[in-house]
Amino acid sequence: MYGWHGKVLRVNLTTGEIRTESVDPQMARDFIGGRGWAIRYLYDEIDPRVEPLSPENKLIFGTGPLTATPAPTGNRYMVVTRSPLTGALSCSNSGGFFPTEMKRTGLDLFIFEGRAERPVYLWVRDGKAELRPADHLWGKDVFETEDAVRAETETHARVACIGPAGERLARIAAIMNDKHRAAARSGVGAVMGSKNLKAVAVRGTRAPALAHPEEMKALCLEVVEEVKKAVEAGSSLRVYGTAYVPPVTNEVGILPTRNFQTGVFAHAEDISGRALRSKYLIRPKACYGCPIACGRLTRVNEPPYVGEGEGPEYETIASVGSACGVGNLAAITYANYLCNQLGLDTISTGVTIACAMELYERGILPESDIGMPLRFGDADAMIEMVRRAGLREGFGDLIAEGSYRLAERYGHPEYAIVAKKQEFPGYDPRGAKGMGLLYATSNIGASHMAGDIAYMEVFGVPKRLDPLAIEDKPAYVKYFEDIFTIVDAAGLCVFLSIRHLFEPTYRLEPVRISRMMEYATGAGYDEETLLKAGERVYNLERMFLIRAGFTRADDTLPPRMLGEPMPEGAAKGHVVELDTMLPEYYRLRGWDENGVPTREKLAELGLA
Amino acid sequence: MRVAVKLLATYSKYLPEGAEGSAYEVEVTPGTTVDELVATLPVPGGDASVVLVNGRGPQPGQVLREGDVVCLFPAIAGG
Repeated sequence: MYGWHGKVLRVNLTTGEIRTESVDPQMARDFIGGRGWAIRYLYDEIDPRVEPLSPENKLIFGTGPLTATPAPTGNRYMVVTRSPLTGALSCSNSGGFFPTEMKRTGLDLFIFEGRAERPVYLWVRDGKAELRPADHLWGKDVFETEDAVRAETETHARVACIGPAGERLARIAAIMNDKHRAAARSGVGAVMGSKNLKAVAVRGTRAPALAHPEEMKALCLEVVEEVKKAVEAGSSLRVYGTAYVPPVTNEVGILPTRNFQTGVFAHAEDISGRALRSKYLIRPKACYGCPIACGRLTRVNEPPYVGEGEGPEYETIASVGSACGVGNLAAITYANYLCNQLGLDTISTGVTIACAMELYERGILPESDIGMPLRFGDADAMIEMVRRAGLREGFGDLIAEGSYRLAERYGHPEYAIVAKKQEFPGYDPRGAKGMGLLYATSNIGASHMAGDIAYMEVFGVPKRLDPLAIEDKPAYVKYFEDIFTIVDAAGLCVFLSIRHLFEPTYRLEPVRISRMMEYATGAGYDEETLLKAGERVYNLERMFLIRAGFTRADDTLPPRMLGEPMPEGAAKGHVVELDTMLPEYYRLRGWDENGVPTREKLAELGLA
Repeated sequence: MRVAVKLLATYSKYLPEGAEGSAYEVEVTPGTTVDELVATLPVPGGDASVVLVNGRGPQPGQVLREGDVVCLFPAIAGG
């Protein structure tokens, strides 16, 4: 095969058996790769009602056909499993260098089954895989673990691992790679922890063969030149990282503030990319094969927040920052380092702490339960909660469960700002209605990565849509979900792809990405087959949720979003008109009025 | 009358010297449209820039009012 290796590594942690399987070429093409292949395997092999933290759940690492090819940003992988946070799917995505190295082992997908009796890690060198004892690594943080594993394998091995949060089965635990990169969302780190799998180390020299290498090279050069030109002209992502966003979302009135009580934050400028650049930036940092370099290598010298690492990204600033009422960028950056070290999803961690702050300020959550005051804006209390959550220490044991379980325990689930029990990312959907529909319908719960229509509603990419309008949003959300599925499954980063691999029109035709897919795989992709494949993957994911027991009632948002008008700012007076958008969305999807894909739609996609 | 111009992200490089934060005030004659004001600014035109007035997208031909905040930033993928 081209683009893909066509090989899956199956690791049974219970028995210790490891074997390599070949992939059916038809399946490979129909489900694209990574995220798409993973749902095919998961759907076929597990009961969707399986207890997520039991040995019966499976954990899949998946690269795509464009991972480790010359395609710019071909550096992503996906972690797919049944989520212990949501009970739905996880499709957590990460870049850096681990995914490329994983693909270069000559394998596309790793499937982990069962549960090891003692802690282990997997070491894969060019297709040869072995499980090694990890008792001595258990208890180590992410940074220590990566250093130790590299010392025991190869200096240039790349490592994905869990920290104390994953070991303790925190439902907001991430799988970290290259120390600072996270497959963050939906508690994938807890699934890894439940399997006693501490780390995965990879080293490889087997770049995938390409079907049309000359054409691929020419197209990739064309794209890279285009991106380089944009970067030289002053790309905000290069200059400021995603941290450039807080003043923008604040202007639009959707910057999550004090647990989404408002979308306007007085300190938006203080937590912006400009502030980060002038105070803490060492240099921008790129993932493998990326001409943008939106990552931030930073250092904070202000006690007590002294540290060095990567971040913060916008999502982290909006969650441990403004959502917690914290406008101190040094504290936010330090909290980011701490999340990385402990292996926590910054979004769910920050928003859960924000939820606890609201419960506390409303007198619902007693101070005696927390052991300290927990007011909005208290940066040190926020940091202490991060630490305790990662270690499940004291009240942190409840933070580690996520907002929904925390708020429900105190009898007020309405203060959990979640969809399908997963915390919102950094866009209050009352002022970006498409994002509201996306959060409600996403197969992974609230997520921007599921189909970030904020590109159009907020950032004008490639064209601007009125964020407060609801007309056409169902169609756009459906389309964005499908094309984000394609980008994920292909193994690319959305930042570059949406801007440079789709036509910059309202229709966003997948012109360059379908050519890239065809040059890499030679499997017969064109725009139509690729879009159909994206829709196919999305629908199979939806069927997984349906079989797991999800219904239309789960495609919803917290009461605050549906019934409490935004109190101030540019979105003042607005709520999300979900009831108007949802039926139209189902209709466009070819799903019935309960959100179940019809037999006709499944037949059309070859899923019947 | 006076309106504020706010330049975010990399457009901050166009801020006049001494501007506090991301915004500065300009004097415009009554009846000036948003487009007319934007045309006087050194930012790229067309789809390359997002233009907001008081946080919302302006209507075609919208006339500025005293105290309006005209915000511009480059159209680029975000967080």
